[in-house]
Parts: sequence; C-alpha cells; structure tokens
Amino acid sequence: MTTFIRPRLRKPAVTASAGLLFAVAWLVRGGPLWWVSILAVIATAVRVASLYRMGGEDTDEGALVGSRADERQKVVGLRSRALACHFAMVTAFIGLTAAIAIRGNWWWPFLIILAVTGFGYLLGLSSYGSGEPDSDDDANLGAQRSPLQR
Amino acid sequence: MRNRVREQRTQQGLSQADLAAALGVSRQTVISIESGRYLPSLPLAFAIARYFGLTVDKMFDPDQEAGT
Repeated sequence: MTTFIRPRLRKPAVTASAGLLFAVAWLVRGGPLWWVSILAVIATAVRVASLYRMGGEDTDEGALVGSRADERQKVVGLRSRALACHFAMVTAFIGLTAAIAIRGNWWWPFLIILAVTGFGYLLGLSSYGSGEPDSDDDANLGAQRSPLQR
Repeated sequence: MRNRVREQRTQQGLSQADLAAALGVSRQTVISIESGRYLPSLPLAFAIARYFGLTVDKMFDPDQEAGT
C-alpha cells in the first residue's frame, strides 16, 4: 500500500497521517479542548522525526522501522506483533469480565476488541494455513505408493 | 544446530558486515546465525552454502548442538 514511498519514509508517513487524522478529529469536535489538536500535531512531528532517525540505525528496530528488514527481522517483528495482540486480547478479556462483574456499562468496547482480535486470529488461520483439513495423504489415494509400503 | 558459517567466514577473511552484504541480510542476522540463535530459511541456507562453495549439509549439521 505504501510501496511508492521510499522505505525509510514509509513508517513516518503512516504515523504522520494517523497523527494528523487524530488532530483533525479534535478540531472537528470543537469545544474548549480544541487546542489538544495542536498538541497532537506537535507530538506527531516529534514522533515522525524520531522514527526517521531510528530508521537509519543499524539495529533490528531500525531495520523494522526503516522497512528494510530481512527474514529474521521480519520474524522478530511478527512475533512482537503477535505478543502485542495476545496482550490486547488478555486485557480486553479482563476488562470485559470486570465490567460485567461490577455491572459497568462500558463493557462493549472490550467486547469489540476481543471480537476483532479473535476474528483476526481465525482469519490468519484460514489465510495462512493449508485450508484443506480433510485432504487425504497421497499414499491413501492409490496414485503413488510410498517406498515404505513396498 | 551447529554450523560452519563463522569458520568459513574467518577463513576467507570476511567481516560479518561483508558476508551480510553479500547475502543481502543484516549484520545482526549473520551474528544470530553464527551463534546458532537463528536457523536460516531454506533459501538463505542454500545462499550461504553456495557462497562458500559447500553443500547445505556440509554447512549445517543438524546432529550437533550450536556451540559444541
């Protein structure tokens, strides 16, 4: 999606877009707290600059931020994201359980997070798995015989 | 799994950065492979073996633990 942008600029560009979107949301909201949008823009600018600097470092984090990760660094990134998702699911479950226990009416955001992360997990299984749970072993089809069966 | 990456690299007088550049991976990945903390993918294992003119089974020994 962002392949037309230079690798080192991709993450900073995504961060800048997200930060600006957040700032616009505060501006549109209006009211006495409109100045939070200015803080959001400043914080985004600082974050974008630090991401750009980090993207040039000769470290695993630098390679991931700079979108030039090799196979091991991609695995490190994937594991970290999986761990973050696991934490999100556990936190959402704890929040949902606590909200139900004290009859709070703020249970639904936790349920949404739990449902979305759970759906993402199932989508991952169906996308990246073999997708053929009932397929037979070649040896049982009669087309080929395993050397062990001879 | 024990491997001969460090041995071959030092024999040829290469730095970890040189080997990383030749293989198209990061220096950190070469360090991880040499120490046995990371098992490379099959394509990368073949690339390493070919680079040193060895076969994959000569380069990587599954019967020995790393560091032994």
